Amino acid sequence: MIQGEKVTLPVRIRDAAVASAMFAVPAAAAQAVIAYSGLEIAEPRRGRAVCSLAFVRYADGDLGPYHEFAVAFLVRPPGAPPPSGPLGRLRGLAGVGAFIHWLPVNQPFTLEAGRTIWGFPKELADIPLDLSGRVRRCAVRFDGRTAIELAVRPGAPLPNGAGAPRLDAYSCMDGVTRRTPWEVRPSGVRMRLGGAAVRLGDHPVAEELRGLGLDRARALSTATVGHLAMTFEGAAEVRP
Amino acid sequence: MRRTALVTGAASGLGALAAQRLAAAAWDVVAVDVDEPGLARTALRSPNIHVRACDVADSGAVAAVAAEAGPVHRVVHAAGIGPLGPGLAQPLPEVERVVRVDYLGTVHVVRATLPGMLERGRGELVLFSSLGAWVPSPRSSAHSAAKAAVNAYAESLWMEHRGEGVEIRCVCPSPADGPLPRPSSEQRAAGDSAPAGTPPGAVLDAVERSLARAGELYVVPGPLAQATVLAKRYAPGLLRAFLSRATAPR
Repeated sequence: MIQGEKVTLPVRIRDAAVASAMFAVPAAAAQAVIAYSGLEIAEPRRGRAVCSLAFVRYADGDLGPYHEFAVAFLVRPPGAPPPSGPLGRLRGLAGVGAFIHWLPVNQPFTLEAGRTIWGFPKELADIPLDLSGRVRRCAVRFDGRTAIELAVRPGAPLPNGAGAPRLDAYSCMDGVTRRTPWEVRPSGVRMRLGGAAVRLGDHPVAEELRGLGLDRARALSTATVGHLAMTFEGAAEVRP
Repeated sequence: MRRTALVTGAASGLGALAAQRLAAAAWDVVAVDVDEPGLARTALRSPNIHVRACDVADSGAVAAVAAEAGPVHRVVHAAGIGPLGPGLAQPLPEVERVVRVDYLGTVHVVRATLPGMLERGRGELVLFSSLGAWVPSPRSSAHSAAKAAVNAYAESLWMEHRGEGVEIRCVCPSPADGPLPRPSSEQRAAGDSAPAGTPPGAVLDAVERSLARAGELYVVPGPLAQATVLAKRYAPGLLRAFLSRATAPR
């Protein structure tokens, strides 16, 4: 029961829109940021990890309409042996999950649902975003102070059906690490190399991202999704 | 401070999506429709959507909803109906109902909200018309005529209140983009066809982009609708011939 309403699993999102950017960051520093989860950061290249920033507008879904900002890192599935050699690293990418490090939202229903059902690190913020302009823009603000701003330039259209349909989302709240099976069905996807600009404010998470060099990094790639449907199963505790 | 939006036709289609997007962006949304179950679906788990069952053809009801809503910063008037039928065969009460909902409904919503916006010197008044207002097609006489009246009304208002701080937009999506008219399956079987349209989300994106540019009036979303308006201007005979063939019963 969330705010007096019964939320049934799986939770379905019927219409969302997304803009996101991936950055290569130093693996050791990224591992230190997510050490509290007990998970191991994925290293597609030796010494480099992948940090992803995304903003999402949920229009129609089981958690109501809201805006969300996400900071995530690619992680190895718990228990998977560390890959060795360039080929092993590539093969290891097949099973990677997304560890959700920070997930501010702007509406109370999804805040409570996200924290209670999956242990997602949601907190309330003002999240103005523009997904209709030539450049997609988003800011996360607390009491008028900007924590982070992200601008993403859409790239070239990809054929529908491209992209990973199923993946695992990991989260860690109050010392408990959880895995949530997550299915995505995107359409209207555009991708490009580079194409993102990040501005960091004075929030603790912004400090962490500054420590990873995100304020001066060039994005590996950016993606925008015009229409995204998603399904979230229940979370299961994992013991890395 | 939270801004308030009034969205009509909010139980389905473009109106529902507009209400949900505004609610996602933390607006207080007064969502209006005659379809109460549809309104409840739009407002699911969204405490900042406030639903009001109201027929826009009823001027008193519209005024009451607007008065209760308080200062409204944005109006998205998407309520409309569009039953199709041959001009001579369509029952007169149906024609009158189309005019009352589509044209007079717009007048009621404008009269209930625009004076407050002008007084405050700011606001956004988004009126949904239809490509049919530019390009009538067979069997759409009542709807196209009512929407042409909406265009004329919007254009007149726009000229009367330019520079007074209120952005007025008249949005003309192609019929397939909604809100209406959408041929029923029987009508489609009888040979009516609707062009493949722009997705509703893209229609609303076009409205947002237009609102970001001050002073515009018409929003014609999508390349197909834009091409149709251009064809109407520069090759009206060719367009009429194409529409007659495309909509002729087979």
